[in-house]
Amino acid sequence: MTMFGRGRGSEPARNAEALRLVGVTKVYGTDAENSVTALDNVSLSLPAGSFTAVMGPSGSGKSTLLQCAAGLDRPDSGAVVVDGEEMTGGTEAQLAKFRRRRVGFVFQQYNLLPTLTVAQNTTLPLKLAGRRVDREKARTILAQVGLADRLGHRPDELSGGQRQRVAIARALVTEPSVIFADEPTGALDTRSARDVLHLLQEAVRFHGRTVVMVTHDPVAASYADSVLFLADGRLAGYMNAPTVDSVAERLAHLGDDVPAGV
Amino acid sequence: MFSLAFRSVRQRPGRFVGTLLAAFLGATVTMTFNSMHDTAGAAGVDDRSAESLTLAAGVVGGYGTLLVFFAIASTLTVNVRQREEEMGLLRRTGATPAQIKRMIVGESVLVALAATVLAIGPAMLGGRALFDMFQDTDQVAADVDFAFGPIALSAGFGITLIAAAGAAYLAVRRATRTAAGAAGAGEPRGRLRNVGGGLALVTGLGGAATTFVFESTDPALMAPAAYGAILLSIGLAAFSPALLRMLLRRVGRPIGALGAGGYLAVLNTRQRAAELAGVLMPLVLFIGVATATVYMQAVESDAIEASGLAKSVDDKNLETMNLIVVGVIVGFACIMLINSLYAATSYRSREFGGQRLAGATPRQVLGMVVTEGLLLTVTGVVLGTAAGLAGLVPFNMVRTDTVWPEQSPLVWLGIVATAAAATMVTGWATARRALRTPAVVAVTKAA
Repeated sequence: MTMFGRGRGSEPARNAEALRLVGVTKVYGTDAENSVTALDNVSLSLPAGSFTAVMGPSGSGKSTLLQCAAGLDRPDSGAVVVDGEEMTGGTEAQLAKFRRRRVGFVFQQYNLLPTLTVAQNTTLPLKLAGRRVDREKARTILAQVGLADRLGHRPDELSGGQRQRVAIARALVTEPSVIFADEPTGALDTRSARDVLHLLQEAVRFHGRTVVMVTHDPVAASYADSVLFLADGRLAGYMNAPTVDSVAERLAHLGDDVPAGV
Repeated sequence: MFSLAFRSVRQRPGRFVGTLLAAFLGATVTMTFNSMHDTAGAAGVDDRSAESLTLAAGVVGGYGTLLVFFAIASTLTVNVRQREEEMGLLRRTGATPAQIKRMIVGESVLVALAATVLAIGPAMLGGRALFDMFQDTDQVAADVDFAFGPIALSAGFGITLIAAAGAAYLAVRRATRTAAGAAGAGEPRGRLRNVGGGLALVTGLGGAATTFVFESTDPALMAPAAYGAILLSIGLAAFSPALLRMLLRRVGRPIGALGAGGYLAVLNTRQRAAELAGVLMPLVLFIGVATATVYMQAVESDAIEASGLAKSVDDKNLETMNLIVVGVIVGFACIMLINSLYAATSYRSREFGGQRLAGATPRQVLGMVVTEGLLLTVTGVVLGTAAGLAGLVPFNMVRTDTVWPEQSPLVWLGIVATAAAATMVTGWATARRALRTPAVVAVTKAA
């Protein structure tokens, strides 16, 4: 097992290790003929305050990795540890309660609720968790993502980039250990994408969060501190201080140097 | 395109269950009552019996057809809306809107045809039972024989098929128009609803007021009051969003304080109040019509009993008709209520997914759906009871010289309980099914 990434949290982290996967395996399909091994014995450890991109070709298992690590899907075997606590919940309700404090999400399709305003969407996770809703703090975070004048708007009145910024504010408001971002710039134009990526960087630098971002875009990956490469459900490489060109180069030759076993 | 319709029905029969059920019930009701025409038309039937039979056949004639149409339309709208993706795919493969229209209309005609064939047996049994009831109550002479013949069959096939074709045409036309990108499509519909609702309110109030023109023993006394209640139910349902919003202003804060489920329910209902009028229409109709008719009949029966007279054949006819009217309207209203609520809820799978990803437990989502059902039920009960009373009170005043009917409120409670159960159970069961899809899948599906 390797320690990936460089911790540079500006505030003290709760636990030095934000996320750990031990021997996580996930197989889709039951019969031997048609089953697909999406994740094959993956182990990794991410320190608190790191920004990691997960990359790989289609079908490499990067979405499955994110879903298992975030408690949206249960691995067939192996353990997932978030902020020092192992995810053991069996029911959806147990998993939901586990995620509430430890995990935040940013999705490609924003996943904002259409009947709620920007401010209501942002504070929803607190409401659902039965926590005190600090409106002042929510307003501060929304101002930080540049939406101070949009608090009363509904998602359908916002641009794609603005919606994604609401999603980031919503992920920040619960102060989770890890924010998982699944292709957060996949539906955005280049300028909005850059804004969103800067905000994710700020989530790490100023808020001390840990960010794990699945992406297929080398430009997006270059904003991260480090990149994890996946191929055929296995870890296939690691890169520190990535640049657009080095990531693209590595991706292009990912199939060449997959080791026989990780 | 007709062969495509045929294949589509054969491959995926499940999604036509709603339409099939509505058409089946419609055809059964139509044929059951039209078989009275067949019976009355046979040789050697005396005038008195023939009149009873023809009256019975006529009572579901006009509005029965309308109900069949509405019920099929309501199920088809759902069916078409769920298939927007498939229709888009067909269009991208080169199908013209006319071809898609022919496919959808063809499908619904096929389903209606099957439903009507299936309905023949039950309609014969139902017609026989209705006929036996007429004979048992001496409204029809004992020597008359029951007949199920050409009038029943042609009415059954004719009405069901025309209703199915017409409803499908309207549903697909609306769908293809919306898909064409008419963002403001909701606006003219809202205005149309206001105008129609206003008209229904005015004529309904007029109908209820007309009751005062009649003598207390006039056999037609019940008619204007009953029609007044039906029209007022429709009119009030059209303006139900306003009442719903008013209710939310009163109870929104306490319900929102109950928990996250209640909080979301209040916000959702406030936002979607206008759309919910479609669900409230059958709910209000159900409560309004059932309350008005059942209680008017009770008032009538008690008044006859108090006068010391025996019930005449006309009285019995009227009683039978009333029970039939209630049964048919209430049955169809119930189908429409369940169907539209099922559609409205199953359509929200993506929204539920978003809530779950934001940290909601399945229980919180179900709590939200049940709270929304409760808000709907309260609104429906208030409006339906108001409409029912608007018909019942004038009738009671003319018939008994008292304002308030003295009958027990138990029947009303039963009606309310049925409506509440239908609303909550449908919403709850549909949401539970939607929750079986993993949240991540639910939010990406049909994005």
